Amino acid sequence: MARALEGIKVLDLTHHIAGPYCTKLLADFGASVTKIERPGSGDPARAMPPFAGDDPRPDKSLPFLYLNTNKRSITLDLKSVTGRRLLRRLADESDLIVENFRPKTLPALGITYETLRETNPSLVMVSISNFGQTGPYRDYEATDIVEYALSGIQYIFGDNDREPLKHGFNQAQFKAGTDAASAALIGMYHRAMTGTGQWIDISIQECVATGLRDTTSSFTYTGAIKWRRPSEAGELPRSPVETRDGYIVPIAFGGVDWDATVDFLDSDELADERFSTPEGRLEHATDLDRILRDAFRQYDKEDLFYRANQRRGLIYGMVLDASELYENPQFQHRGYFAEVDHPVAGKAEYPGAPLGMSRTPWSVETPAPTLGQHNVEVYVEELSMSHKELRQLVASGVV
Amino acid sequence: MAPTRALEGVRIVEMGQLIAVPFAAKMLGDMGAEVIRIESCTRMDGYRVSGFYENDSSGEFWNRAVNFYEQNRGKQSLTLDLAQSVGIETLVDLIAISDVFIENFTPRVISNFGLEYDDLREVKPDIIMVSSTGYGHTGPWSGFGAIGYGTEAACGLAAVTGYMDGPPAIPELPYADYTAGEHTVFAIMAALMHRAVTGQGQLIDVSQTQTLTATVPEPLMDYSFNGRVAGTSGNRDDRYAPQGTYPCKGNDSWISLSVRSDSEWAAFCEVLERPEWASDSRFADGLSRFKNHDLLDGLVSDITCGRAAVDLQTQLQAVGVPAGEVLDGKALLFNDHLNARGFYEVVEHAESTGMPPLPYAGRPWKFGKTTGTVRSAAPTLGEHNNEVLSGLLGLNDPNIAEMTDAGVIGTAPANPRASRQTTNETQLSQGRIVRWEPDFKDQVRRKFDTG
Repeated sequence: MARALEGIKVLDLTHHIAGPYCTKLLADFGASVTKIERPGSGDPARAMPPFAGDDPRPDKSLPFLYLNTNKRSITLDLKSVTGRRLLRRLADESDLIVENFRPKTLPALGITYETLRETNPSLVMVSISNFGQTGPYRDYEATDIVEYALSGIQYIFGDNDREPLKHGFNQAQFKAGTDAASAALIGMYHRAMTGTGQWIDISIQECVATGLRDTTSSFTYTGAIKWRRPSEAGELPRSPVETRDGYIVPIAFGGVDWDATVDFLDSDELADERFSTPEGRLEHATDLDRILRDAFRQYDKEDLFYRANQRRGLIYGMVLDASELYENPQFQHRGYFAEVDHPVAGKAEYPGAPLGMSRTPWSVETPAPTLGQHNVEVYVEELSMSHKELRQLVASGVV
Repeated sequence: MAPTRALEGVRIVEMGQLIAVPFAAKMLGDMGAEVIRIESCTRMDGYRVSGFYENDSSGEFWNRAVNFYEQNRGKQSLTLDLAQSVGIETLVDLIAISDVFIENFTPRVISNFGLEYDDLREVKPDIIMVSSTGYGHTGPWSGFGAIGYGTEAACGLAAVTGYMDGPPAIPELPYADYTAGEHTVFAIMAALMHRAVTGQGQLIDVSQTQTLTATVPEPLMDYSFNGRVAGTSGNRDDRYAPQGTYPCKGNDSWISLSVRSDSEWAAFCEVLERPEWASDSRFADGLSRFKNHDLLDGLVSDITCGRAAVDLQTQLQAVGVPAGEVLDGKALLFNDHLNARGFYEVVEHAESTGMPPLPYAGRPWKFGKTTGTVRSAAPTLGEHNNEVLSGLLGLNDPNIAEMTDAGVIGTAPANPRASRQTTNETQLSQGRIVRWEPDFKDQVRRKFDTG
């Protein structure tokens, strides 16, 4: 079956996580993505742990292997004049360019949207950066935790008597990659309708800050400033609670009253008169918290999860770790994990389709490329360079 | 030249609730798509019945709810009673002249309504339908209800999130809804691109859990290749040491920072006025700083707690060390950088709501040509009933009056009951808010110049 984005040619000037996740989404749904890497070391993500077999080789970085499926890799030194000349030729052949350099890097090399569109007027270009292409933080440095701090999510994450927390790993980067892929396609759709290209500016900070529920609005609506999780709020905790064999997130929802929870957990202590009103639960929050936690510890998490799902308004979530996910009946039924065979890293199951498309399904056709794997294919076969010219470029370090 | 909108001409019928689906339609609407939201007067969106302007649950509270306004700006509201066959028929007629139908009910409910993809393609062969569910449209869990807190637990992210000595953790918002919504925008655009080329529509099956799992590959790949199961690691990262969130001067004030190299370490020690650390063998390289991270956290905190977070941010960034103040909701709203970029957009509310113009977060992208804007505030319940029924479906006034009399459409809830309100004072005593400022209206008006 054809994939949705077949025929779209993407020149991929991205590295690390945010940009590569954007171009992975495009490539996994069928776009033809050519990734330009720095000669020698390539994408710094090739050095990112963890590694297959804990062997820190550039083709064994697990984040890199995941982020670069279905892409071709060519090497090119953008700092050289010849490199920039070749970049222009590649850009002229492309519909879409995605890059995530620091905002000042490409302009310093004379590479801007304005110059590239001189010879490719309908080009769509997406630039992803930490804080966007304008504004006082434009040249600020960031890691995922700094994005968490400056986008407002960290302040409401964790316990309110401890330091603010962040999600594990690289959520801000992935979020930006997703938004960038959406923006790229909105730009491409407009181009398909009108023939007009444009430059799109993605700020990772803004990607996170658009995903906060009533955080700025609590202030504009009521003057309140939301905080991290209180330890004892006189309610069901909206966070993972320990059971006999793991953690469950208990939610009572849609006007379901307290009695439904008491009945479900079948605890005499919880049925105490003191806890029958919201005021009483808040007044006796310390006792309530202890009793609730004891009640949950009587059960296995799967038991609670499956039983809650038989009841109206009780929507429980079960905390699953990596090993449980790979065995999970729902993920298995949907064939979620995709086997990918890589010539250096070997065969393994990767996280698969984020979503299903009935007519144009997601698929992995090729594993992440080795560094410069497609130099001959692109430079010789597509740009009609001779093998001798390519050898000269390799010798001079341009490729 | 009048500004063009990228998605001009795309019509979306949205039958969503809470965030995952409404968020996606909102973003497409900002970029020019026409979004018609199907609502019910008997079972209103949970976000219409909680969290009101000034915590006031009197009168038409359902037209003053904060989370509804956040997720539904720029849309039209059509109420339809889908328990009546004319309600379903009207919806199908509308879908027949639309490009995208997006919903987040369980497959069983959609089947009972007769609104499955195979039903709809009979009336609109190239329709793009999105089914967004907690765990996917197929499989043993497809019938389970889910909200963001639950899918975040199940996707593999919660298990690797939390204080190092603590249980799994999730933030105080339904985070997974947004990740699902972001991927839904992508999927709809991919389907529209495919349709533009081939003329074909299709069914998009969004598993909210799967979209989030796609963004947590590090621990999953580590398990798949190496058999290792990662646990919680607090604010740390195995690439950077130190990395963490440290206390600063003031009440509940914090700075987050990472040191990514030996040269950044030297610069960091200068800013903290502890140049001797740079030559201390316990901290000589990344590996030793990682081994001595606990010790380092204590030493760093001792210094940072005497400094203002914003000053430290400026000083560290000046020497190229990534650092940022942990912004609370108000500081985020007033942030100079975001405001210099015009991130917030002031939206006027219908006079009947009694709400002043207010700023809302914009979009995660800035387009050079088709900029996109918030067209209007979220609709009041049934605000566009006449407009859609007569303007789009060509019904005449007697038809519409008949539907009103039969309760197929309406502009007020059948059973107006707000969920229980918690006052700011109660939330403060619960510890859900850190403080509240009674003069917030003046502060917002001055900052955003809204008269």
